[in-house]
Amino acid sequence: MTVPHSVRIGALVLATTAFYGYVGQLVPQKEVQPPPEVAIRSDLTTADMVPVGREIMAGKGLCFTCHTIGKTGALRFPDLEGVDVRAKSRIPGLSDVEYLAQSMYEPDAYIVQGFNPGMPHINQPPISLTDQEILCVIAYLQTLGGTPTVTLRTTHRYNGGTAAPAPGAAPGGGAR
Amino acid sequence: MVVSRKLLFLLGPVAGIVMFIAVVWMATVFVGRNEYKDPYRAPAATADSTPRAEGVAAEKDEAEKKAQEKPYAEAEYRRFPVVGSRVAIWAVAQLHLLFAAFVLAVPIFAFIIEAIGYKTGDPRYDRLAHEFSRLLSVSFSLTATFGAFLTFMLIILYPKFTNYLMSVFSPTFLPYVLLFFAEAFFLYTYYYGWGKFHPLVHLGLGLGLNVVGTGIMMIANSWLTFMMSPSGVSSKGALISLTDAIYNYTWMPINVHRFIANIAFGGSIAAAYAAVKFLQAETDEERAHYDWMGYIGNFVAISAFLPLPFAGYWLAKEIYAYSQTLGLTMMGGAFSWLFIIQAVLIGNLFLAANYYLWLGMGRVEGAQPFQRFVKYLLAAIVLCFMIWATPRSIIATVSEVRAMGGSAHPVLGFLGVMSAKNTAVNILILTTFMSFLLYRRTGKVASVTWAKTGHALQLSIFAAAAFVVIFLGVYGYFVEASVRIGLSVPQVGAVLLAMVSITAIDIFLFRKPRNTGAVRWGRIPAISQYVLIFIAVTFTWLMGLMGYVRSGLRQHWHVYGIIRDNSPDAFTPTLGFATEVVSVTVLAFFLLIGFVFWIASLHDRPDFERGQSL
Ligand code: HEC
Ligand code: HEM
Repeated sequence: MTVPHSVRIGALVLATTAFYGYVGQLVPQKEVQPPPEVAIRSDLTTADMVPVGREIMAGKGLCFTCHTIGKTGALRFPDLEGVDVRAKSRIPGLSDVEYLAQSMYEPDAYIVQGFNPGMPHINQPPISLTDQEILCVIAYLQTLGGTPTVTLRTTHRYNGGTAAPAPGAAPGGGAR
Repeated sequence: MVVSRKLLFLLGPVAGIVMFIAVVWMATVFVGRNEYKDPYRAPAATADSTPRAEGVAAEKDEAEKKAQEKPYAEAEYRRFPVVGSRVAIWAVAQLHLLFAAFVLAVPIFAFIIEAIGYKTGDPRYDRLAHEFSRLLSVSFSLTATFGAFLTFMLIILYPKFTNYLMSVFSPTFLPYVLLFFAEAFFLYTYYYGWGKFHPLVHLGLGLGLNVVGTGIMMIANSWLTFMMSPSGVSSKGALISLTDAIYNYTWMPINVHRFIANIAFGGSIAAAYAAVKFLQAETDEERAHYDWMGYIGNFVAISAFLPLPFAGYWLAKEIYAYSQTLGLTMMGGAFSWLFIIQAVLIGNLFLAANYYLWLGMGRVEGAQPFQRFVKYLLAAIVLCFMIWATPRSIIATVSEVRAMGGSAHPVLGFLGVMSAKNTAVNILILTTFMSFLLYRRTGKVASVTWAKTGHALQLSIFAAAAFVVIFLGVYGYFVEASVRIGLSVPQVGAVLLAMVSITAIDIFLFRKPRNTGAVRWGRIPAISQYVLIFIAVTFTWLMGLMGYVRSGLRQHWHVYGIIRDNSPDAFTPTLGFATEVVSVTVLAFFLLIGFVFWIASLHDRPDFERGQSL
């Protein structure tokens, strides 16, 4: 007995779609939730801020979709190992905190040599870290090659502060 | 028993009437018996109101007052039962898009074939185009039905967001509707006017149909690309420039990518249609016709398929240019495994298309010398496929990334980087192109005087292109990222240049070929026809998957970075779940397409005659 063609064709369509559905099951299964809105407690100490900053970088900040820590070779994005050391000397007159803040609020103001512009504005959508969260991230970045000094009350050009204005920078700063 | 039959005819209605009367009577009796009767009360005016009655009345008044005072609240979202709003919208949008692609694809295909027929004067082409456009009118109504369905679903399930989109794009709706009328006009005059006009007039109608169809697609594309890469609006979403909103970063690349993909889709569905007819054919003549139709359909599909990766990479480039974060979410983040699945599908398409071509060599006498090459081509394809499907920088969890020491896998990352992938895809394309050339050569020998030189030239161009592609691919490992990204352009350039120049030489080379064997259409194993159907299903599934990535990429945004998705469905589902939804919608699509094929086949059916058994 031969199977009618229409049945075979139907079976082929079914088998093909089922097969691709199955291929979809073979890859890692991960559900990605929208980033939760976490309020940062105002009484965090600098030491408390470091792990929070690390977590933000891995999650809501999306930093690790681009950056690595401690990797060498032909990279597409600057590696962040020891970034605090470089941050102190990148732009004359800017402290490490000021520089790190600038690299997040105004990433295109200074482009690391050998790389293309393309870092997103971290305080704007879609990432939209708050000023508080960015301070935590700075705390963590400072541990890479230095010791963290920022607190949640630290001010810089971008959160209303005027601390150590860069020479030639807009006086009294405040891009926001 | 003739008598009893007559009696039965009489008794039937009588019994019916009796039963009807019986039912009515029974119903009256039962209702009468159980009817609710108000208990006797003193007339309202005379009775004292009890505290309970007062309480009830007060309550009622209050409820009414409350209802009157209730402010009108706009719903932000409504929930679709069981599967949820997202899946509901997804399935409907997907079906609408598949049919829309089909309705755009058939006229493109028919127009190309009809034009070839006009040019060559071969009536077979005209018949083929006419036969295929028979699928148009039913699918046109299905597309419109799903379009209306989708619109209602959007308004019902995502009222606030839909309202926002309308506020931005409202000036585009009227032109859309007008184009839709024009589409209907061209579509029906094109189909029903077949053979009724001068061929050029008819071709003009076909052209009009395609221009209008492409216009419709471009308007709709502006809405959905805006959601992915918005521009022309403020960071709060207020419209600044409609032109910018339409002409956003990904609009043109998606227009081009879709347009080309639609041609390939149309070809593959035409081939599948021919395959179904081939398998059901009863005469050799029919088999020959449908084998030929399948071949032409597949030819068109593969020709459009070859430039598709280039359009895809252009689209990817524009996505990166719009937002690196979005680009990396796509290729390095949550969606990177999706591109592995895409690679499996595209690899399958290349493999199946080549396999079909090789099987087709059996149609031609004297093809044996070429079939020798096939195993090398096969080896090249499998190798490229493996490289292409090698994952790079798959971010599953952060701890895993740390364990891998960065965002690339220590071993796989090496093969999986962009240069290796680009190289593999380019070689895949060259190989498939080679299969084509071999196929063209079966049963023919070039008879021009410079045949030898011509072949040598073609071979050297081919080798040079392969060399350039591989050299740049390897070179990519030794240069900085900013340089490496630019390397894909000369790679693509080399492949395109090679394809164009080799084809040009081929045309002259085979001006007046000496035939060494006839093509015996219809002499092809039945398995080849299943291959054609497989290609069509794979293609459709690929469209479903890519539609998902286009829209899933926004993650928890309705309009990326501007309007946030606050619904319960804002999360990104697992790929396993996504592929299940795609599979189910693709199955639904093929059920409906089967229906369209069936309606089209009614045309060939002999008219029903009275007295014929059912
Ligand atoms: C889309 C990719 C991308 C994302 C996401 C991203 N960056 Fe960057 N980042 C870059 C690029 C590209 C550069 C180099 C160009 C430049 O200097 O602007 C850079 C540079 C930097 C620098 C300067 C490094 C140096 O050596 O001077 C710092 C610091 C930095 N990023 C921190 C972060 C942090 C923190 C996050 C997450 C909140 C982040 N980046 C997210 C792409 C990205
Ligand atoms: C490599 C070869 C490629 C092939 C054969 C291919 C094929 C296809 C096909 C058939 C579609 C469906 C078109 C439609 O809906 O009308 C599609 C859509 C799409 N492709 Fe590709 N593609 C390729 C590469 C890429 C690449 C590299 C990207 C990376 C961005 C990409 C991104 C997309 C997107 C986002 C869509 C969705 C368009 C939409 O439905 O709105 N493609 N592709």
